[in-house]
This record gives sequence, structure tokens and C-alpha cells, in this order.
Amino acid sequence: MEFPGALFPSYFGCGPPRDEGGPALAAGWGERGEVLGARPGRRQAQPPFVPLRSHEGESWTPAEAAAVPLLPPNVGCWIPAVTPQDILYRGVLHRKLRTGRSGAALDFAKQLGHFFVDHPEDAFGSLGRLLHKNFHLGDSRVRKRSARDTTIRMTTLVEKINHLEARRGCPQHQFTSRLRLFSHLCRDWLFEVPLELLADCVHEELLLQWASLLFDDSSTGGALAWLPPRDASSHMGRLVYPGGLAMNHLYFQDVVLEEQPRARGLPVQFELNGRIRQVAAARVDGQDFVGVRSDYHCGVWRMPGKTGAVPSPLQVICTDVPATCLTVSPHLSGELSVCTQSGAVYLWNIETGLQRLRHDPQTLFFRDHSPWRWSDFTAHPRVLSCADRTGILCLDARAPASCHFDFFKVGEEAKCQQGERVVLPMYLGRAHPCQYLVTTQFAIYLLDERLPLVPVLKWAHMMKAPPLFADVVPGESGRSHKVLLGTSQTQELLLLQYTGGRQTACQLTGPPQRLHSIASCLPHLPAQLPLQHHLLQQRLSIPAAGLAAVQHEQGQQESLMVFQLSEAGDVFYQTLRHEAPPTSVLDQGDEAEAAPTPNEGDEAAAPPGSPALFDSDEEEEEEEQTFYLSNLEVIINDEEEEEETVGTPAAPEEPEPRASPKPAPDVPSPAAAQRYRRWLRPLLRAWVTSPASLCPSGPPTLSQRRLFTHKELAEVAPNALQQHKLQLRQAMRERGCIQRWEPAPEPPTPPPSLEPNALSARLTAAWGGEWGAVGPAGSTLQRQQALRERRRRQKRNRAHRRLSASFTSSVTYQSELSELSEGGTPRTPPATPQVAAVCSPPRTPPPISTDILLSSQELRSRGIPKERRRTLRDYLSVWAEGPQDPPEAPSSTAGQRCIPSSQSQLSSSSQSQLSSASQPRRKRPRMGF
Amino acid sequence: MEGLRAGRALQPALHLPFLPRHFYRAVSSNEHRLNFWKSKELCLSYIQDALLRKQWKRAAEFLTSYIESLEKDFSTVFMGPSEMIWRIGTEILCNHSRSNIREFNSFIEQMKTLGVKRYLKVCLEHAFHLLCNGLVDEAYQNLSLAESWRFGEQTVLQDKEMKLIQAYRGLLDYCSWSNQKNILLEYGKDGLEDLSVAQEMRACFRKAAVNLKEIIKIPGVWDLFVKSYVDLLEFYGDHQEAREVLTDYAYNSKFPANPNAHVYFYQFLKRHGAPKKSLISTLKILHDIVPSHELMIDFNAMLQKSKKRKRRRLGLEVIFAVLDYSGWKENVKAWSCLARQVKQIVISEKHLDWIKEQWNSRKDWWPAFHFSRYLAKRNWQEDKSLSYEKALVAGILLGKDCKYFKYVSHQGCKARVRRFRTLKKFVNEHSPAYLRISGL
Repeated sequence: MEFPGALFPSYFGCGPPRDEGGPALAAGWGERGEVLGARPGRRQAQPPFVPLRSHEGESWTPAEAAAVPLLPPNVGCWIPAVTPQDILYRGVLHRKLRTGRSGAALDFAKQLGHFFVDHPEDAFGSLGRLLHKNFHLGDSRVRKRSARDTTIRMTTLVEKINHLEARRGCPQHQFTSRLRLFSHLCRDWLFEVPLELLADCVHEELLLQWASLLFDDSSTGGALAWLPPRDASSHMGRLVYPGGLAMNHLYFQDVVLEEQPRARGLPVQFELNGRIRQVAAARVDGQDFVGVRSDYHCGVWRMPGKTGAVPSPLQVICTDVPATCLTVSPHLSGELSVCTQSGAVYLWNIETGLQRLRHDPQTLFFRDHSPWRWSDFTAHPRVLSCADRTGILCLDARAPASCHFDFFKVGEEAKCQQGERVVLPMYLGRAHPCQYLVTTQFAIYLLDERLPLVPVLKWAHMMKAPPLFADVVPGESGRSHKVLLGTSQTQELLLLQYTGGRQTACQLTGPPQRLHSIASCLPHLPAQLPLQHHLLQQRLSIPAAGLAAVQHEQGQQESLMVFQLSEAGDVFYQTLRHEAPPTSVLDQGDEAEAAPTPNEGDEAAAPPGSPALFDSDEEEEEEEQTFYLSNLEVIINDEEEEEETVGTPAAPEEPEPRASPKPAPDVPSPAAAQRYRRWLRPLLRAWVTSPASLCPSGPPTLSQRRLFTHKELAEVAPNALQQHKLQLRQAMRERGCIQRWEPAPEPPTPPPSLEPNALSARLTAAWGGEWGAVGPAGSTLQRQQALRERRRRQKRNRAHRRLSASFTSSVTYQSELSELSEGGTPRTPPATPQVAAVCSPPRTPPPISTDILLSSQELRSRGIPKERRRTLRDYLSVWAEGPQDPPEAPSSTAGQRCIPSSQSQLSSSSQSQLSSASQPRRKRPRMGF
Repeated sequence: MEGLRAGRALQPALHLPFLPRHFYRAVSSNEHRLNFWKSKELCLSYIQDALLRKQWKRAAEFLTSYIESLEKDFSTVFMGPSEMIWRIGTEILCNHSRSNIREFNSFIEQMKTLGVKRYLKVCLEHAFHLLCNGLVDEAYQNLSLAESWRFGEQTVLQDKEMKLIQAYRGLLDYCSWSNQKNILLEYGKDGLEDLSVAQEMRACFRKAAVNLKEIIKIPGVWDLFVKSYVDLLEFYGDHQEAREVLTDYAYNSKFPANPNAHVYFYQFLKRHGAPKKSLISTLKILHDIVPSHELMIDFNAMLQKSKKRKRRRLGLEVIFAVLDYSGWKENVKAWSCLARQVKQIVISEKHLDWIKEQWNSRKDWWPAFHFSRYLAKRNWQEDKSLSYEKALVAGILLGKDCKYFKYVSHQGCKARVRRFRTLKKFVNEHSPAYLRISGL
């Protein structure tokens, strides 16, 4: 095996990692790293130096707009994933968490509450049975005298509890003293399991859940494996993946690689008694060995070399503590390595059994609390690597205690950062017998066994989560090797290329490339009803669980197929096509922008570099608004909703950032579209019959029963209400959409009812936010209504010349205002004209009798032009009925405000409207009043 | 979970690069700052996305917006916006189809003035870029300029970067020196008398030597610099110094165990006709560090020729060790070395215990690793001579009933190849040797 004649220069130091103050978002860009003199054999035309990070690489372009489902959905799997909202206290400030200064607060009380409600028999069974004679829950009084002494009436308490339930999520809800007293009294004896003990257990469990929510390493290595075709000529390989209700079924599915990969026949299926965490495979002597790891069991299957052969299970081992790693030897048939959380590393041979190589609960190089261990094979079949979070050690299985060397250390040796930890080590034997890949949460390292401790290549990958999955596609005859990295929570997928290791030193070639995530196919699926859309979104953004890649040649066209497994058991794939070298580095951006595809509601559609970018917060707010409105819920729990929508693209609920632009192909090909449909149909069909559909996890709702009584509601519009109810019921029965919320055969404008009831008035005012203005005077509104009606009529009569005049007046609005204020009358600021119109003391005209005023002589004498006199007369005739009331009805403008436009949009245009509406009054002082 | 103790229990098990945003919420008190920070982060994620999808133009447009973040740079983080802009800008300019070296230079010059802390790093990377584009002279100027830079007290990192800058300048001096040397050699010996050229070369040598000598004292991987420095010293006849440098580079315990260091030393010794003993001891150390190194074949040949028993024994050990590695699994040369030596031993019937000793630690896995029936088939199909050598070894080590030997010899006889027939005969004749090796 050749070793590169010269390596790239680098410093070498020992000791702990130097402090670099956390992750850098752009750490992987722009560096050449180092340079090295080119090989002497090269032509003169070549530049004399080559960089560690070269920009020339093979060009692979995605063939589809998004990932495409390969297999039918795993319909059994409906278990919803735990979210932070389930675990954390609502409204607790989590910002400190990010800085690492303080932890989150776990809401174990909520979990306890759920337990009490869902399993009352388990929680209070025996005491409930004992006491149920003594508690009276009915509405009536306790009649029997004998019973009266031993029975307590609990009706009020129950009602109080119901009230509480109704106000769930209300920021102002308070516990009543009665409830507090009761809980105080019965805390010690009511529960089946002592409350403190139960709470302790729940808290402990929540801690575990929270830890796995933050970072779950149980799926390290990935549960998807590709068994390549028998020989180069055949195109049929096999995918091995978990599925089923609890991901406890192991499937071997034949897949034919053509233009598009397709499944052939039914998969061979094995049922296991545990959730499958990892599937590892290797080919030795023409036979595939597949290792399967669940928490407490590891098994190995053999796939014989003959075509049409069936996989056969060989052996199963059981562990006391959860296993963290299972790898299959690429050198010797039936040999695997197993690690457990207790710190033990075993070499597992099918024939000779288990051999413990190492047992050390402590970590290798410095103290780290993680019990995670990993082990893999190396170029020497008897030498195994043992890894924990602090580094990697290689040891000889023949003399594990004495023969070992340090292979990788988190420290200055590899120029690590503080806090950096090993996430996944992987032997790259298929690319180069001596190479090793080590990923950490910040960077990837390429190591050569012949030069331990010094990485031959390092690159900061900048992924949002630690890469738990990796696969390598070896490049033959001088071509670059492709390394794929995948994360679990964020479904990120990155393609890197590197060359070297034999004659030349290792080089990273070409810019790294992001591939489609599973969630990226959501916009390409056929349009769905909101509930189903929500379901799909949840389904597609479930964390990834595995990754496999294969290079494949179809005629002249080379393609790279990448398979992805989600934790729900769905398998997706994407194809990358190799592009011929002439256009060495293709600028895809130019092409993509030639045909921009704005996506509705997609922030990414904003033109690049537009100033709107920095106002994104406002956009987000608007988005929230529309979100509220499109929901049918009466009140949406504000805080939780905010938490979901405010999240930047990186939030796992929508792992694909909204920023994602569409690459060259924008729409899925017909074949892909068909696959989407075919995948969707069984999924939705299964969902309808599943228990999950019965409890859609939408935003929490609040009962409206306690806000208005039925009587009050019925008064508003008895018919309409009935109809709404009917329609709603029917829609719910059909699981359909409520398309027209307004079925009422009402005329578009409400009839000028002479007796509008008090409730509607209150509601109208409430919409306008003018609680204070609602006085007991019902007649006010009546008069205002009449006035509005009259004015409308006048307007219709008026020539449009006046209209234009009113516009000019609106322009001079501000100046007039200032004139007004000069006049010494106190006014509220113009920013809230409506409020001003109602609340400011009406600037009552001098108490002159209307009759006198109305006479034309009087008007003339006051210098009012002829054309204005009639208007004024009409106006004043209304005044005559109630001279104490303000002349303008707030309802005309308040009516506009009922349209739920955000308050912040009270822009100049609406101001001008308002001013034109209130024009007559402002003109008055000039008219000589 | 003992690790999850109070205090730090609620923090991730791993220091995560980016905690998902929905895990924490904004506070209203410093909302303005937060908004700016948020939009900055959003912009950066757009840039990142464009870069990862090779949309250089789009990334460039976003970057122009991102430059605004410089205005309110009150960050104390390790990598401030100035460095990010430098990194992202460089990446875009390197890949953009319509960028040229002039634009690149002017961008980098601006970047140099932007971040004082990273000045040296930017200079170094600029020089690398120029070098990779064949602009050696410009790179040299840049490096000299950077070398004269002074700013306050230097940090450890800056000190390292400065040393690297000097080393690379030394390397470029060496390059121009070797160019002149080539010219001189091309025009014959009379050129050497041309004093001006010789003096110039001497000047280059001095400049290069000073800088290169500095860097190779510091622990690290300096293959390039060591090679150049040794070349210079050798040309001017300073073999002692060259030897010291190479010895230090190979055997200083502060340096990483770099196989190349041993290779250079070995090659130096070979060039200067060092005694066999020192060559062997050099390679012995290399064997201990990297048993799978390609020089081990030469080492084995050298040892086999030796008359000392001890060395021949070592030779057998070396070749066995080489074949332990999967990279050598199908190497005909290595197998023929082993076959030859094993055959010799078997014929002489002496030192069968050497084979036995080597075989003992391998007999439980070599049969599956090297001599399975599947491999017999495949080797026969792909490389007849490989299967011949392997069959010989298998026949001796595992006896004539071994699957590999049986298959290959059967196929060989069927194909009527003479040497396979003699192979079969040889193994049959020496089956007692097998018995002794396997300890039966």
C-alpha cells in the first residue's frame, strides 16, 4: 500500500483543545487549508501547487426537485414524536438554555395530570372506591338524613374544576382557594402511589426524554443498509430497513436500479422483539452479513451469494445494558463487534462466540459522562478501533490489553474545539483500506491508520445537528470518493468528495453539496385539506433514521442514488446525475433565477437581496395572523403557537428551511408525481382508520361555552347560529372542509333594524376596542344609525365634485389639525382618531335653538354659502333630536375596523379615509360657529 | 443514567452546534437587538443554503445584504461577521463562473483591512490562492508584505501563522533556487562559473534556509519543508546538517509518527551509501510503526539476501505482517516474496519453527481471510499468478487438503499449466512440513 510522498504541512501539538468559543457558522468556507507542491510528474501547464481544499470536483446535480418515496408508506407507524412542548413548562424562558447557563424546567406536573385523567383507576382506584359513598356529585341536595351525616356535597368543587379546564391556557386563570384547600387536604392519602414517589419517577423519565430530545445517539450508524448487486452486470440490490408499528420488523427488499430505482416483489420480513436502532452490513466472500441492533438484542443475518436466496438469521445475543454499536467485519465472515453502555467492547464471532476486548466504564482520554461507545474494524482484521466521545483507540484482538495505540484524540492533536466530541467513527475500507472517517458535531476528520492522531483532512461541516449517519461511495481509478453525511433531527444531508491517500495526499475536492431532505417533498405532494396537510408535515419532518448510497451506471449516464429512512419507517430516495467535466463548475444560481418560482407563503420567494429581508419580523407577524384566521378554532393558545411559528427555518417541525430555493428542476417529473400520489393514497387511507386521526394534535382550543351563555348567543341571530351549527356538524361528520363560513341568506348589508339589541352593540363596540364607550344609552346608537343612514343618502345625491373636494381636504388634514390645536381646544393625538371622536368631550355648539338655526335667513346671515345650507340643515335636524351626542358615529369607521387587519397597518391611507369621513365637523369652525 | 445529574442534567449530552430555535423564546426587553440578530442569522442561513446548492450568484446577492451586519458588530464571539464575510466572499469568488483574479485580489485587500485579528490568516490564504493559480511571484510579494506586519502583542495563533508565512516564503525561495539550478544544469557546467547566477542562487539559498530551518524545529508535519531544506543542504554539501535534520524529524518524540520522516531518512542514507546495518535499522523502525508500508517489500528482499539468520527470520516476520493487512491481500509481489521464502525454508527443512511461530498467531483467521474457497475461485479467475503463489503458501501452511490449494491445483491441472502440476507435486512431497508447522 502506497503512502503519499508528502503530506500537507500542519502543526502538531498535544494537550486539551484550545478555546474557540463555540461553533462558527461559516467555518468551513473560503479556506485552501494548505498547499503542497504538485507531483513532479505533472505537466508544466499545471500550477505548481495544489490546495488541501480544491474547488474543482465532480459535478453532481439532483435529477428531481425533491426526495421521492421509494416504497409504500409504513402505515402502521402512528406514534407521535415527543416535542419540547410536551415536556417543558409553558412560557418559561428558554433563552438561557441556549447560552448554557441554566436548564429548562420540566413540566412533570402536566404529565402527572395526564396520568390522573387518563388512568384514574390506577391513580386513585382504592380510595375512590372507599370514598365514593361519601361524596355526592349530583345537583340536588342530599335528602336522606342518615346519609347527610356521612356525605359531602362535592358538586361545587367539580364545577370549579370544570371551570379550570375551560380556561386552560388562559393567562389570567387562578386557582380558587377551595381547590387549593382540597388538594392540601388530600395530598397525603388520596393517591395510590405516593405522590412524591410518582413525581420523582415521572421527573426522572422526563429527564431522559428531554436528553434524548436534545440529542439522541441511539440511532448512531443508521438503520438503513444497501446490499449491492451480486455482480456489476445485474442491477438488483437489496435494501435492509426496519418498519412496522414499533419499527420492530426487519425487511429485506429487492430493489432494481434503473433510471429510477424500484422495488421488486414483496420484502422478506422478520419480526423482532425490540425497536431496531441500527442495521449494519458488510460483504465478505460474496456473502452479505447484516447485523441488527436493538436496545437489548443484537442479531446477525446472512444473505447467501446466490440469486433468489433468502436471508437466514444466524445468531442473537442479549445484553444487560443497552448496546450502542454493532459493526460487521468487512474482512472475515461472521465476525462483528458490539459495544454496550457499560463500556464493554466485544468481538463477536458466529462460530466462536463473544470475546471481550475491553471493559472500562471510564472514557479514554478525559472524563466525559456519556456512556456511548463505538467500535469498528480497521485495515488489519485483528485490530479493532474502540471509540467513545473523547477519542479512538485501536487494539489488537489477540492481545487487547498490551497491544494498542491511540488513533484519534479530541484535543490539540487534531485541532479540535472545546466541547467537541466524537459522534460517529467509520472505517472507509471500501474507499481506501487505511482510511477512517470521524465526525464530530463541528467537523469531519479523515484519518489514516498509518499516521495516527494527525488527521489528513479536516473540514468544518457547519451542519445544524451532529451527523449520526454516514456512507461512502468509493470512486474507482482516481475518481473522487463521495462521502455522505446525514443528521437525524434536522434531516440534513451533505455530499462531500475527496481524493488521495495512495500516491497523493488527501484533498477535499469540489464544494460540498446539500441534498434534499425528506421534508423537502412536502410542497410537491398533491394539495391536501389542512388537517391532512398538517399530518403530512408531521410525518415528513420526523427525524431521519438512516442513510445509504450507491453509485450506478445506466448506459453512459452515471448516477448516485441516495436512500433515506425516516423514523416512521418511510424510505425515500434521490438521484444525482454526474455531469461531464467541460462545464467544470456550473453556476446553478444563474439558471435557477432565470425562472424563479415564487412559492405562496414561502418567505424564500422574496427576491434575493431585497430590503424586505431585514423586515422579516413583520412578515412573520402577518403570517401568524393569517394562520389564526385560517383556523377554525375559537381561540388559539397564543404562546405555544408563537413558539412554533416564530421558529426560524431550522426548527425541526419544518426541518427544510423556508429559505430553500428550488434547484434546477422545480417540479417533480411525472414519474415522481405518480410516486407521490401512490405513496400518499395508502397513507391517508390508513390514517382515516387509525386512532391518530381521532385526536389530531392541533393547537389547543378553549371552550367558548363560558364566554357567552347560550341565551346570549341565541339572541344575536337565532337562525344563523342554528345554521352554523348544522353546517359545522355536517362538515365534521364528513371530515370535509368548511368552505363557506357564511351560509346565511342575509342581505349583504344589515337591515337598519330599528331595535338593534344590546348585545350586538356591545360586540360591535368590542371589536372596535372601545369598551369604555359602551354606555347604557341605547338611544345613542339608534341615533347614530339614523344619522349614518341619512348621510349615506346625502352622499349618493352629492355630485362627485364634492368627493374630490373631500379628497383635497384629506390632504390638508394635518395642517387643519394644527390649526385646531391652535384654537386651544384639547384633543387627543391624531394617531387614534376614532377614540378621539368618541372619548373626547363633544365640542358642543352653542346652545342655540335648532329652529332658529334652520331658518335660511339665519344661515345666510352667518355667511354660509347657498349650496352648503341644505347639508347643514339636514345635519342639524339630527342634532335637534339629541344635541348632547357627538355628531359622528364611530360605527362607520369602526365598521371598517372590524375587518381584522392588524393594528399596525393603520397607515396613512386609512387616516385619510377617516379624515374624509369626519370632514364636516372639522370644517365647522371655519363656517363661523 | 449516572451522567444526568442535577445541575447540568437538562443540558444536551453533547455540546450542540445549534440548539433548535424553538427550544428557547425571545424576550421583549432587548427585542430590537434580537430582531437584528435574528435577521442576521436568517440572512446567513440563506447564504449558507445558496452556497451548499452551488448557487453562487444568489449567495453573492445575499452577502451584499449581510455586509450590513458589520455596522453593529458588538459581538465578542470567536468568529465575527468580518471573518464570515471574508470566508463566504472567498468561497463565492473561487467558484463563481465570472470571477477573475483581479476582483479576487481587490476583495481580499479589503478584507485584510477589515479584520485585524485575522490579518495573517487572510494573507496566508491569499497567497495559497495565488499559488494554486500559478501566480508565484505575486504570492511571494504578498508573503513578504505579511511578514513585515506588526500589530500589538501577538497571540499564539498569530505566532504560528507568522511562522507558516515565513516557511512558505522560504519554500518559494527554494523554488526559485531550484529553477536557477535547473537552468544552470541545462546550460552545462560552464554556467556554474557564471558568478552572478551562482551568487543569486546563494542568496536564495540563504533566505530559504533561514526560514525553513525555523519551522522544522517546531513539532508538526513538514514533509515539504524538510525535503526542500535537505535538498538545499545536500547541494552545498552540508551532509552532516542534513542528516541531523532528518534524524530529528524522524526520531524526535515530540513529532507525530510520520512514516514519511523515516522514508526520507532511509532515502538519504541510501543516496549516501550508508552501511546496510543502518539501512536495516531504519526500516526496522518503520516496520514497527507502519508494518504495512510499501517499503517493507524492499526491506524483506534486503533481509532475505542477508546471510544472518536473525535477519532472515525478521524478513519472514515482515512479509507475514504485510500480508495481514487487507490492502495487500491481492498483491502478487508480496505473495511471491512469502512463497519464495517459505519454499526455501521448507526445502532446506531448517527453521520450520520460524514459520510455525508466525503461523501460530494467524492460523485461526488467515484461512478465512486469505484461503477461502470463494477467494480461490475469484483469484483463479482474476489473476492466475496470484493464485499460484497463494496456493503454494496455502499448501504448505494448511496442507494439501486445504480448500484453496485443492481448488487451484485442480483448476491448474485441468487447464494443463505445467507449474501448477509441479506445485501439486511439491506440496505433496513436503506434506510432513505442514504437519510440523501445524504442530500435529
